[in-house]
Amino acid sequence: MSLQRRIVRFLGSPRLALWLLVFIGVWSIAATAVPQVGQPATTVSSWADEFGLVGTIAPVLGLDTAFSAPVFILAVALLALSTATCSWNRTKAALLRSRSLSDAAHLDRTAFLSGRPDLEMDVPPNLGDSEVLAVASATLKDLRIRTQERDGVVRSVSPPWSVWGSPVFHWALLALIVAALAGVLMRTVGSMVIPVGAAKTNERASYTALRSGPWATWMGAKRTIRVDAFDPRYVVENIDRGAVPTVSVLDGDGKVLVTQRVYANKKLHSGSLSINAPGCGLTVSIAIMNPDGAEISRPLQLVEFSQEASGGTVPLNPLALRDRDGNTILKLTATVPLDRIGDGYGEWIPAEPAAHVVLVDGQGKVLVDSVVRQGDRVPIAGGGYVRIAEIGWYSRLSLVDDPTIPYIYIAMVIATLGLSLSVLAPQRLLVAAVEESEGDRRLVMSLRLWRNNPTNRAEIERELTRALNKTKEARKS
Amino acid sequence: MTLEITLTWAALIFYVAATIMYVIGVVFSRDRVSKWALIASASGLVMQSAAIAVRWMRLGHGPYIGYYEVAIALTYCTVAFFAVAAWRNPRLNQAGLGIMPVAVVLLGGAMLASKADFPISAGLASYWLFIHVAFANLAFAAFAASFGLAVIYVVRERSQGGVWAQRLDRLPDQEIVDDLVARFVLAGFLLWGIMIATGAIWANESWGRYWSWDPIETWSLIVWIIYAIYLHLRFTMKWHGVRLAWFAIVSMPIALFCLVGIPTVYNTIHAGYIGGVESSL
Repeated sequence: MSLQRRIVRFLGSPRLALWLLVFIGVWSIAATAVPQVGQPATTVSSWADEFGLVGTIAPVLGLDTAFSAPVFILAVALLALSTATCSWNRTKAALLRSRSLSDAAHLDRTAFLSGRPDLEMDVPPNLGDSEVLAVASATLKDLRIRTQERDGVVRSVSPPWSVWGSPVFHWALLALIVAALAGVLMRTVGSMVIPVGAAKTNERASYTALRSGPWATWMGAKRTIRVDAFDPRYVVENIDRGAVPTVSVLDGDGKVLVTQRVYANKKLHSGSLSINAPGCGLTVSIAIMNPDGAEISRPLQLVEFSQEASGGTVPLNPLALRDRDGNTILKLTATVPLDRIGDGYGEWIPAEPAAHVVLVDGQGKVLVDSVVRQGDRVPIAGGGYVRIAEIGWYSRLSLVDDPTIPYIYIAMVIATLGLSLSVLAPQRLLVAAVEESEGDRRLVMSLRLWRNNPTNRAEIERELTRALNKTKEARKS
Repeated sequence: MTLEITLTWAALIFYVAATIMYVIGVVFSRDRVSKWALIASASGLVMQSAAIAVRWMRLGHGPYIGYYEVAIALTYCTVAFFAVAAWRNPRLNQAGLGIMPVAVVLLGGAMLASKADFPISAGLASYWLFIHVAFANLAFAAFAASFGLAVIYVVRERSQGGVWAQRLDRLPDQEIVDDLVARFVLAGFLLWGIMIATGAIWANESWGRYWSWDPIETWSLIVWIIYAIYLHLRFTMKWHGVRLAWFAIVSMPIALFCLVGIPTVYNTIHAGYIGGVESSL
């Protein structure tokens, strides 16, 4: 046997598929018990301490990155190859069955009787052919098999398409595995922080966090994301959707492609790009003015909500004013003291908007350290002013650019259709006629009960014999 | 006690009565008692339909959130699935002996749990909730039916034509029961697969990712793989009989664990549906 044939036989082996399924199942169960990388370090270390040797072995095996570990990827890849071979074998089998069904549906009595039957039983001599076939039809009907009688032949033949469920399901499953693996390689996932009224182009530099696969296409790269408006508490259909931004996606020419409110279960789609809005925070627009009152700079401080922090917010981005040589002249941080709600803080713009501003010069000398209300200004030691121009909102957007998702959906739909066909469509070939040879009359039958049949061959044989004998006795009496 | 709780208690009493009647009907070979057991099951189903309808109208959403609602929905679908199967094929009626105890345990557990009302949160407010949960319930019902029939199969097989085989002689031949177990597993496999697919689509809409290896997602895949192994053993490796029946018996509790047990063991983003409290995305 050639090596190629051996490989194909190995990949098509049901045992291989079975053991791969067992391995993936057991691996997944083990993985759910091991903290995965990305979880808080304390969780991982306390788990490792608690489980001693197992805690040491699990990371060595790759169980702490279970679903991206080489051994898991290898098993899935092997399963994909096994599924491909299996699908091919099932396709060949389905083709044969579908041809048999197609032939059986059009077979006439003579052609049928010239073939080799699967089942034969003696017919009482006192019964006519049509009576025998009527008894057979009634018996099969009692066994929940509907038949048709035509030209001295009783048949119950499934349509040829009924046998295609399993191959279609397996091919779709293969497509699903391939599309999911391609998705891992092609997907771009990241988050952007965009103040209300501002826009960012969809490029690497705009992201605060970004993970992109080696085959990432950046199909949405020429687009611009803009946050047009923000509703801190959006209620629709009597359900509080929380803080909801209105987001627009613009093309390279600045034309708006789509605009909508973005919230849980209502994400924005634009081609392969999809946008969710999982979080938000506050912005503090700070005007730095010279002693004459002219504005020389207006940095924007992003402020994140934090129930643990004093005042309820922490600055997200460090701000600095530099001279032409790049030396830091001023360092600036601002937080927004929030309204107290019980033991915590209300995560919205306070009733009296103000910011706690700390301004430090290049030598570390504190120039300003005070709470300034929106619209007010405070003098900077040594000259100039700091004014809180505006306290507003920013939205944290989660962007996913994955061109494989439509293909995954299509594969899932086709797999479902194939499996539905496998589950629901009876696959049977039953043809019966009365044959007379050398004075003997027999009921002969072609009988293939492949899938989804309400009975089996033994029961059909037993019930037919019983029914024919009963009719014979009735006729005698 | 509110009307809905009274009706659910009534349903539980009917289910207990049906279970007892199935035991009497089978043990004493009283076919008529087994028929009455099916009527009792159907009556319990009517009571439970009314209870669910009352709760649905009061809360404005179906039984999706919290252990109580999840368990009553699973019970309802299990009994309804069996009742329809037994009505369409009366020879399956005695299988109630294996299926109704599952319904009694589930509904009994629900009656002991908190019956607190949980509103639909923003994260759950989607038509996918109904679709996803409906397929989970139907899949479990099919697995419970395969479990019940597999129990019957094992009992008859161990009896080797003895007293239990005679008591359960109203059921189809062992070979057909074996085939029915596989068919219910296949139906459950399809429905569970749709549950996973709809969950993936919903997760993508809601969270921007269709699969994140969350414990419930992983366990739902594990259950699917377990039943895929069953189907491969049955249809490709041509396994039959007691070994495979035991496989179906052991698999069903794993599916049940996946549906109601995971949030008690793991930290999961799906904790909201069973505990009523939505965890962070």
